[in-house]
Amino acid sequence: MIKDTLSARGVSRRYDDTTVVEDVSLKLKPGLITALLGGSGAGKSTLLRLFAGLEPVDAGEIWLGERALSKPGMTIAPDKRHIGLIFQDFALFPHLTAEQNVMFGLKALGKEAATAEARSWLERLDLTARAGAYPHELSGGEQQRVAIARALAPKPAAILMDEPFSGLDPALRSYVRDAALEAVRAAGIPALLVTHDPLEALESADHVAILKSGHLLQEGPAEEMYLQPRSADVAAALGPVNVMMADEVPAGLIDVPAGSQLVVRPEGILVEDSSPSRAQVVASQLSGGMTRLVLDMAGRRLIALVPRAGAPGAGHEIGIRLDPALSFIFPSAQV
Amino acid sequence: MAGPALPRSLARWLTPGPGDGPAALAGAVIAVPVVSVLLAAIFLGGGEAWDHIRSTLLVPYLGGTVGTLVLATIFMLMFAVPAAWLVTMHEFPGRAAFEWLLILPLAAPGYVLAYAWGDLMGVGGPLQTALRDMTGWAARDYWFPSMRSLPGLAFVLASGLYPYVYLTARAGFVSQSVCALEAARSLGASPLSSFWNVALPAARPAIAAGLALSLMESAADYGAAEFLGVPTLTFGIVRAWKSFGEPAAAARLAVVLLVLVVGLVMAERWSRGRAGSQQSSTRWRTVSRTRLGGVAGWLAAAFCLTGFTIGFVLPVSRLVWRALETQESIAPVGEALKNTLILAGAGAAFAMVLALVIALAGRGKGPGAAFARLTASSAYAIPGAVLALGALVVLGGFGLTLTGLVPVAALAWVYASRFTAAGAEPMVAALDRAPASLGQAAQSLGATPWRRAKEVDLPIALSGASAGALILFVESLKELPATLMLRPFNWDTLAVRAHAYATDERLAAAALPALLITAAGLIPVILLSWRLSHARPGEAA
Repeated sequence: MIKDTLSARGVSRRYDDTTVVEDVSLKLKPGLITALLGGSGAGKSTLLRLFAGLEPVDAGEIWLGERALSKPGMTIAPDKRHIGLIFQDFALFPHLTAEQNVMFGLKALGKEAATAEARSWLERLDLTARAGAYPHELSGGEQQRVAIARALAPKPAAILMDEPFSGLDPALRSYVRDAALEAVRAAGIPALLVTHDPLEALESADHVAILKSGHLLQEGPAEEMYLQPRSADVAAALGPVNVMMADEVPAGLIDVPAGSQLVVRPEGILVEDSSPSRAQVVASQLSGGMTRLVLDMAGRRLIALVPRAGAPGAGHEIGIRLDPALSFIFPSAQV
Repeated sequence: MAGPALPRSLARWLTPGPGDGPAALAGAVIAVPVVSVLLAAIFLGGGEAWDHIRSTLLVPYLGGTVGTLVLATIFMLMFAVPAAWLVTMHEFPGRAAFEWLLILPLAAPGYVLAYAWGDLMGVGGPLQTALRDMTGWAARDYWFPSMRSLPGLAFVLASGLYPYVYLTARAGFVSQSVCALEAARSLGASPLSSFWNVALPAARPAIAAGLALSLMESAADYGAAEFLGVPTLTFGIVRAWKSFGEPAAAARLAVVLLVLVVGLVMAERWSRGRAGSQQSSTRWRTVSRTRLGGVAGWLAAAFCLTGFTIGFVLPVSRLVWRALETQESIAPVGEALKNTLILAGAGAAFAMVLALVIALAGRGKGPGAAFARLTASSAYAIPGAVLALGALVVLGGFGLTLTGLVPVAALAWVYASRFTAAGAEPMVAALDRAPASLGQAAQSLGATPWRRAKEVDLPIALSGASAGALILFVESLKELPATLMLRPFNWDTLAVRAHAYATDERLAAAALPALLITAAGLIPVILLSWRLSHARPGEAA
């Protein structure tokens, strides 16, 4: 069965005088998870709500395949869209058990078929033993999985997830996320994952879109976004960066045209003893599998991530060079 | 989480703090009236009066109370729940005003509403007069709904007490995650179906709590039932004591009433069931109200206006009209006002002392405090007539008569017994909100438990006390049956005076004291609605 693309075409949304989403066009392709990344107040949740029909568009249109869902003055109600939603607080119905929650959207099937369908979803998400439990009796991860099952069970045309993992215990998060997104991916429908965590976007999405102050800065496949950011903002949105103006770049490191700025990822700073560009190691600490160095180079602080084996200790002087694939020069003077 | 909590609270029970003795004593002071009613019912025997009451009056009394409660439930649910839903989730003309206007009927006690409605709907009242003028009929030519009936009593009580249901239903709707409603919509539920299948079940425990509260108040009513001539248990208790002079028979009736009240409490508990009503994780999003345009919006406004008009505008304006019609009896009201202030002030002061003792005992968490809080909140549900009866039994046991200061002390005791919970709970809540580390910091700075209570806990508790004290005062002032039974000879309070005039069919004279009581009742209600419009969970992101 061919699934439809869910797309926003030049949509805008204003509250009073503030424009929260401005002229955003974004296609959510079936079978792909698109991460919508941005800081708080970037307009991510609002864009999701526009897709869901929870809010009307002030300009632009929302389409599902060949069907217009929202236009200015016309909003198809959420219950007529057949789009699944997953919330940060899971929004399980507190008065219904896990199984009844999943059955909620299956009314059209009739009771027996709905029960069977709900059970199979609970089994898929490893919740069979918890079917009779009420939401407050479930752990955070279990609630999350019930919410996923509930949203996917009616076979929606698309699924929208609003920071679905940020309420979870960090230790559990990646486990729950993998299980959840596996089910989402298997559904083969357009999926939107709103998040403020760049690592989550890169690790779990196929496609990444970056929103800032209501504007879509850039979108593309996750790896392309990481390796070919079109602006310093995009680069910074996808992970920590070192930013320097042309005149701040220590001589001999790299040529940066005047007025431009240099943006380097921490892992783009390589230790090379023979390099004439010298830096002082101020601090050297483990950071996950890598070692994080705080470097002082002619009064400039730089952060580098280097392999743990052979990493220099604090107080050493080292030579560094930049990995061209992870160093970007942008003409704009604005950060 | 439940694992470690249990042993800790157990440990706490085994090690009472220095405040627990006084707190347990406060609990005992609160519990004595109701306990003595129970003992009197068991051990005093009923006497001849009881045989008479049991064979001829018990069924009408019980039927009157149960029938009133059932009808009042229907009236309140039919209005208050839809009104709360409209006001929380929709935008329509006047919504912001209705949000707090709908609470105002709480200000007037049931007996005051009964006087006004009895007058409005009576044969000589404005409605029937207008009907006769328009049609040329005589009073015997037509049927007109009578307030002096069981449905009339239920209507009057419901019109004044529905705000409890409205308030808790509203809180139940507001505290739901809006996301749950949006999730329901995304799963294909229409707006009406999401209300019926998601919002209403989740708010059900809150609605049940408000309903239980308003039904307890209804069961405790004496004045409206007596005025409208509907026999109820509370009416019977007062009468058994007053007319038959039989405290023991009254005590047996009181036990029947208590069983009913306990049944209400248990039904409310049971309605909570195992299903939760609150989200386990909370993420609030601005409630985006659905705009009701055109006719729908005006219909919503008209619906809310109807409830407000019935519960407040019509009865109060009728009383104002009656008071202005006559200049009668201003001076006696001055005397009654003074008596009211003395008695309500004494009751509130005594209750606040008890409340403080309870709140400061281990921040309301020690074993003595826990016992006292339990008795206080139980006593809150017990009709004033029953507690007054208990006090009379105790006084009788000690051979004391209602002379000198004895009745003042006895009334203060009964008021405190009934209303201490309203003073203690806000203080305990204030202490709960303060971080536990405050006390630990004081301890680490070498403060003794006594100093800690005085210099740390007391100021914090008092920050939550003023509203509680006000509620205590106003509730004491509105209380009718206990005051009627225990007041010193010739000491009329506003409530007693209003009731005496009203039952004598001198409504013009009853109007002024009734309005004064209502005006006093407005103060905490306005305070409440102010708070409501300034702190809205779920409205601030």
